[in-house]
Amino acid sequence: MIALEVLARWAHLALSVLLVGSAGSILLAGRSDRPTALAWETRMLDACRGLAVLAFVTGVAVLMLQTALLEGRRDAALDPVALKRVLLETRGGHVWLVRHGLLLLLAAFLAVPLDVRRRLDWRAARGETVLLAAAALGAGAAAGHAAAQPGTLAAVAADGVHALAAGAWAGGLIPLALLLRRAARAEGADARPHAVRAARRFSRLALASVLALAASGALGATAQVGSVAGLVGTPYGRLLLGKLALLVPILALAALNRQRHLPGLAGEAASVGRPAMAGLARFVAGEAALVLAVVGLAAWMALTPPAAHAAPEWPFAFRLSLATLDGAPARAVRALVGSQVLALGAVAALAALVVRRGRLPLLGGALVVLGAGVAIALPPLALDAYPTTYVRPAVPYRAASIVAGAARYREHCAACHGPAGAGDGPAGLRLPRPPADLRGPRTARHTAGDLFWWITHGIPRAGMPAFGARLDAEARWDVINYVRALAAANAARGLGPAVEPGRAWLVAPDFAYAVGPTPTRTLQEHRGRRIVVLALYTLPGSRARLAQLADQYPSLAALGAEVIAVPTDAAPDALRRLGAAPRIFFPVVTEGAADIVAAYRMLAAAPHAEILIDRGGYVRAISRGDGRAAGEPNALLAEVQELNAEKVVAPAPEAHVH
Amino acid sequence: MRAWKAALLLNLALLLGVGWGYAFWGLRTTRLEQDLAAARAGATAGAERVWRVAGVVRAIVPEINVLVITHEDIPGYMPAMTMGFRAASPGIHEAVAVGDAVRFTLQGVPPNVVITAIETTR
Repeated sequence: MIALEVLARWAHLALSVLLVGSAGSILLAGRSDRPTALAWETRMLDACRGLAVLAFVTGVAVLMLQTALLEGRRDAALDPVALKRVLLETRGGHVWLVRHGLLLLLAAFLAVPLDVRRRLDWRAARGETVLLAAAALGAGAAAGHAAAQPGTLAAVAADGVHALAAGAWAGGLIPLALLLRRAARAEGADARPHAVRAARRFSRLALASVLALAASGALGATAQVGSVAGLVGTPYGRLLLGKLALLVPILALAALNRQRHLPGLAGEAASVGRPAMAGLARFVAGEAALVLAVVGLAAWMALTPPAAHAAPEWPFAFRLSLATLDGAPARAVRALVGSQVLALGAVAALAALVVRRGRLPLLGGALVVLGAGVAIALPPLALDAYPTTYVRPAVPYRAASIVAGAARYREHCAACHGPAGAGDGPAGLRLPRPPADLRGPRTARHTAGDLFWWITHGIPRAGMPAFGARLDAEARWDVINYVRALAAANAARGLGPAVEPGRAWLVAPDFAYAVGPTPTRTLQEHRGRRIVVLALYTLPGSRARLAQLADQYPSLAALGAEVIAVPTDAAPDALRRLGAAPRIFFPVVTEGAADIVAAYRMLAAAPHAEILIDRGGYVRAISRGDGRAAGEPNALLAEVQELNAEKVVAPAPEAHVH
Repeated sequence: MRAWKAALLLNLALLLGVGWGYAFWGLRTTRLEQDLAAARAGATAGAERVWRVAGVVRAIVPEINVLVITHEDIPGYMPAMTMGFRAASPGIHEAVAVGDAVRFTLQGVPPNVVITAIETTR
């Protein structure tokens, strides 16, 4: 089914592109009164009409297949009710209606015989053809992947430009080849100046189009692929790589045409001009065949989920990371030397492009130097990598998951890795390699996907067993979240009660809480809106500090901070225990407190702790105490104001996988 | 007809079509939204309403006869929050203490609403 729809979309896209190119090449070549040129123009107009009808027919096929795909049943393709629903109730359906209305209009316009002997009439008639064809092709962008993204308008515009540039250049190749072939024949001599002019204009247009294609394609790829892992590890990214690979011979052919054939066109007819023209026609036709394959890949991509939304499967056994250089001066020196050699090679390669004499030896030398640079610089940067290295965690980093992971950890991991993750478990002594210390910076160097691979498949040479069969995927992600919290707990020892301006690095685990029967809220809901002061309190010691917080609550609220108080004993009647005085109006958690306490006590184990979480979702300061009132009552207000004064906003923690 | 006139007419027709389509769909959406807003306003404005709401008592201020309650969503009036409400009679607050989970009856013409009844739920 999918294969059939890819084929239908390929045909539809290729026909639409060819339609724009044919209509455009007539306008580009300009008006001529030579019989051969007129014959070509008539032929092209007939072709446009036929292409419009064919594009319409294949479009209907695409619609039917898409309906079957959306409905999940084959017979929906012929079900008028289902078709009507797709057409009238989906965005893709609306765009389909507009595009196919334009195609019909174009076919009708081309069927009307018009008098175009005057120049204005000719331009209006041919321009209208181009306009309708381009609108029908470009409008498709409004239903593509780009239209499903935030920040839609710019992305859709870039997609539209991409389609139109493809139409102007790729679609114009075959019409141009036909014109050149006619003019290269002995009896087509009358149209030769016309063909030469058309080829030169087309060459300029093609250059502009290729630049526009590259720019809009790069924009689209950043939005839809976004990462190297997405490019090499997902079907969408691999299709894009295939497209880029096909582009190399196409551009080589184009460069050859521009350099070799184009200058010869105006040469003496029999010996230079006509052979050059015939050669150009052949090469352009070859270019068109490659372009057809590129269009096929583009149609396939339209039906593939974008890489940014797929779980990438890393195909290599290594990845490159600057993190390997931390604390390894020898590696850093080698990488630095290698990068200098690379720069030298790049300079030599640039020089080879500029100089005229000795270009080939220079280029060869540059390539050797570049190769040497790569060989020196990259090995120290390489880290082991696995197919799941860039997979995003399936379970978010939140308190409930950390608590569930802690239980799994005690059961399956603590024997070797130690109760606190220090790698000092009793069973670890017998292993071929000492178990990893999970608290340290070495954990942070690896991605969550690396840990997922090790837990699932084990590390045989180190004696680590595989847990893929014993723990389901969710449980393994829970363990990873707990390990991440272990590393965070170790790092959090460096955080004190004062905010370090501009330094946000410790992600606060998300949590859910409720006060009495009110709806459950989460930490994440406050992101981008309010600073959160998470107060873990223990009665009776914390009473004085809670009274102080209650007193300051209006000021904190005015500064954009919410206080969330969590009883460390997780008592369900916490509010009653606090009593009527002082009056406390900030949320006191009665549901979900146990998970919050378990997760956040890893960061701050004191009887009374206050954790300051900024609007980006990062822990910025931790004060640990016994709940006495603060000596400097306004200290917390000052820290909150410090966060308010910050301009730099760190990326959201989801984008920050360790 | 001259070809340029035909092309011009066609483009005008297209523009008209796009404009008409925009006007039709756009105006219909606007009208629907207005109707919806009017319906919402009509349902609430001027009429006395009654809600049964769950919450937790956070503070009692007997001097001004006010109960501060962290409450759930009050549909059509306000989202979940911590807020003070006047009691209809002085005796109402005596039945509850701070920290009690309660269910109370809120009655009146917004924003002048009072608690007319309250009981603890746990």
